[in-house]
Amino acid sequence: MGESGGEEERALLDGDSAGGGSPAGRALPALCDPRRLAHRLLVLALMCFLGFGSYFCYDNPAALQTQVQGDMKVNTAQFMSLYAWYSWPNVVLCFFGGFLIDRVFGIRLGTIIFGTFVCVGQVIFALGALFNAFWLMDAGRFVFGIGGESLAVAQNTYAVSWFKGKELNLVFGLQLSMARIGSTVNMNIMGWVYSRVQDLLGSTGHTTLGLTLMIGGVTCIFSLICALILAYLDKRAEKLLCKKQGKTGEVIKLTDVKDFSLSLWLIFIICVCYYAAVFPFIGLGKVFFIEKFKFSPQEASAINSIVYIISAPMSPVFGFLVDKLGKNIIWVLCAVLTTLASHIMLAFTFWNPWIAMCMLGVAYSLLACALWPMVAFVVPEHQLGTAYGFMQSIQNLGLAIISIAAGTILDSRGYLFLEVFFSACICLSLIAVVMLYFVNRLTGGDLNWSAKKREKLQKLAAAEAEEQEKLRRQNEDDLAKLRPKDHISLRNRYLSRLGAQLPANYYSHLSTLAHRSVLK
Amino acid sequence: MPGARGLVLGALCLLGALGRPPAGRREVSMHFNPGWNDSSVNLLHVRAVDANSTLHYVWSSLGVPAVLLLYTENKHSTLHINWTQLLSPEPAGAIWVEPPSSVLHASAVVFTKLFEYDGANASGPAHALFYPPYDLAAFSWDSVNQTLNHTALTAAFRGTGPPRTFHNGSIAFQVTAYEESSRDRRLPGLLHTANSSKLEFVMNGVAPRGNSSRFMLEMLMVEGPGRHRRLESVRSIDDEYTPTIFEMVQLVSEPQGTQAGPGFLQWKTTAYGAREAKRENGIRCRYSPLQAVNGTLLGPSIARAYFGKDVGGLAAINISFGGEDGEIYSSTGYLSWSVLLGFGTPPEDAFSPLVVAIMAVALGTPVVLLVAGAIVVLFFQKKRYSEYEPIN
Repeated sequence: MGESGGEEERALLDGDSAGGGSPAGRALPALCDPRRLAHRLLVLALMCFLGFGSYFCYDNPAALQTQVQGDMKVNTAQFMSLYAWYSWPNVVLCFFGGFLIDRVFGIRLGTIIFGTFVCVGQVIFALGALFNAFWLMDAGRFVFGIGGESLAVAQNTYAVSWFKGKELNLVFGLQLSMARIGSTVNMNIMGWVYSRVQDLLGSTGHTTLGLTLMIGGVTCIFSLICALILAYLDKRAEKLLCKKQGKTGEVIKLTDVKDFSLSLWLIFIICVCYYAAVFPFIGLGKVFFIEKFKFSPQEASAINSIVYIISAPMSPVFGFLVDKLGKNIIWVLCAVLTTLASHIMLAFTFWNPWIAMCMLGVAYSLLACALWPMVAFVVPEHQLGTAYGFMQSIQNLGLAIISIAAGTILDSRGYLFLEVFFSACICLSLIAVVMLYFVNRLTGGDLNWSAKKREKLQKLAAAEAEEQEKLRRQNEDDLAKLRPKDHISLRNRYLSRLGAQLPANYYSHLSTLAHRSVLK
Repeated sequence: MPGARGLVLGALCLLGALGRPPAGRREVSMHFNPGWNDSSVNLLHVRAVDANSTLHYVWSSLGVPAVLLLYTENKHSTLHINWTQLLSPEPAGAIWVEPPSSVLHASAVVFTKLFEYDGANASGPAHALFYPPYDLAAFSWDSVNQTLNHTALTAAFRGTGPPRTFHNGSIAFQVTAYEESSRDRRLPGLLHTANSSKLEFVMNGVAPRGNSSRFMLEMLMVEGPGRHRRLESVRSIDDEYTPTIFEMVQLVSEPQGTQAGPGFLQWKTTAYGAREAKRENGIRCRYSPLQAVNGTLLGPSIARAYFGKDVGGLAAINISFGGEDGEIYSSTGYLSWSVLLGFGTPPEDAFSPLVVAIMAVALGTPVVLLVAGAIVVLFFQKKRYSEYEPIN
């Protein structure tokens, strides 16, 4: 304790001389030394706030639904197109986010570019409101969408490159919590900001809305500043430590799609139908709670954000549980059934909606923890990147289509029908879960094994693999010229079969997990 | 003596059966100013007949706009109007039904005033600042004869305010009579029976006097003696026919002692701010509690012509349009609010077959699949074990 304090003091004393580009051997102040915890914590804070702006602004429409519809005079289908336009670019970009960061821009420039897209998108969005041009708002959401999802990938790549093998899980957890905080703060504060601006201008109208959204855009600027500082610090760390620029390690090959198994397609169906019944509902939820349950706008915002709030602490807990217990399909089944129950409660009863929404929050966190890792069990590792990219792509496609459909249904048939529609979506994903269970059972898949069994079989497979490897090596010695094309990927696959702890960036499914659509 | 008692009991049973009129078809006919040739006065008699009863609606803008609803247990009952008395300053008794004993239910709704208040900082009209109200008795009304549509069974009473008010705006009471049970295609999509009619209150282009003006319509309920009124708010989970509106309000007046059925007014808590009613131009609609009014019916109206001047048990209710953030009227200058009035128990919404079908299929399929899958798995596993057995 005393020693470290002294060290820090010393470090602080010669802080000035350690300005720029000094060799790694020289002592630096703790805050400026990339090898020290204090500096990494600073970087961590920057990383967390990097995504804050985009998470904050993503749900701006939901927080201001009545205001947007009132001021812009749009129906609910048009309102929901704000969400659809966010999703459209990501139907394609899911495949290219990693590629762009790895091969084209590099992590630093990539982050700044995506951050700029987010900022510009939000500004266009706000300008659309200021000029009373709804198409401009749609355009703003499109640009915002180009940046948002890829920014989440970049944020995750930064995390891997700085915290590899050390506090990575914690860092992912913190980034996740920050994302939730961004969404929650947005849900609860934008209405208040709007009423302040309204007091200032003396009236409501599209100008008020535009100004409010501009103020919301400040968080994006803030995030962009974080990206700039982070780029500088990363560059500096690269110089000081001779470390490489972070990479996502994503490999995406679209031709892999034809090799996807039935189980994987069923997982896709579960994913699309489930998320389609959760996010569009949250997007339209505020008015539902106000009209059906007589909530005040503040209360409605609070209950609408409860799903995000609950999943912040529950995600790590469930992640741990599912890891320990295995039996993923049963967990997914539980999550889907709970969600179905909560939608039915919201649709057909006047029971306190806090019960249903809390159930939805818990189920949602459980599903995320049990569903996404399943992909890794049914896909060979070299196809993981493609599988996750594809899954997110069709998830975005589903979200875009269902968003607009939900808006149309609400306008013409009301909330009861909308809830019935969402329940039907959940039932579709329930059907897929049941089919997945039987398909898995009949084909002897490992999706529903308990963790113990998995471990046992993993050991067995590892021993077998070792034997094979021995054999192969012998062969290799014999045929010295026949070398494997890509020895790194081969080694990785071997190591992961072994169950060995690989550096996190080798798990492409870990890095893809940080896409916003997954973490949201 | 026992025979007489039996007769009374039988009559009571018959009355009870009549109290809930069949929701069948009614033959509807509309008569403009029956027995009078001058079209400067607007009086519309709507007669709806079925096998054993007649409903008489009398709509009129005479004096104060009002509607009179009479239910008679006689398919041949007739409405009589003494026009000279009706147009005199004291019209009491100018409207009656022959035979008088057949009338089981009589009620009237009088639309007295249109209020305007500043809704900027008030969540409701209770503490708001009021502008001088528009007295509907001072309005001049267009002839209904031109708007009369005998096939669609509609008519409209369009009125303009005294000079230099309203700025070319107008209000209108649009009447629709129904021959059978059905549901309105247009929002708010009220379910109606053959025993009811729809009244749509429309404000068009009435210039608001403030930046955040809200309007409020005052209605006066008039009924014969021995009736019990109750104002109910029916919350429903079903907003399929009126998207996002979960509340139905009904004012039911039940007879005390007799076996006659109730009369009702029924409306959804929403108005619409455009000619083509849509969810997004919905205007929040509130209502005040029912206030008993001590006093007499002021001014000439058909309510006074039927009930007389000193009718007891008057009650007033105010319907206000627009909530805290309801600025829709100021931008579109249009407002329409629908209310159903009729005889019998108020109609109730039920789930549409589509909703029931979707839920049944959606919930049924996974169950069926589960059973089918279980059978298949059992079968396959047995087979597999039987294959393995010889090896073991």
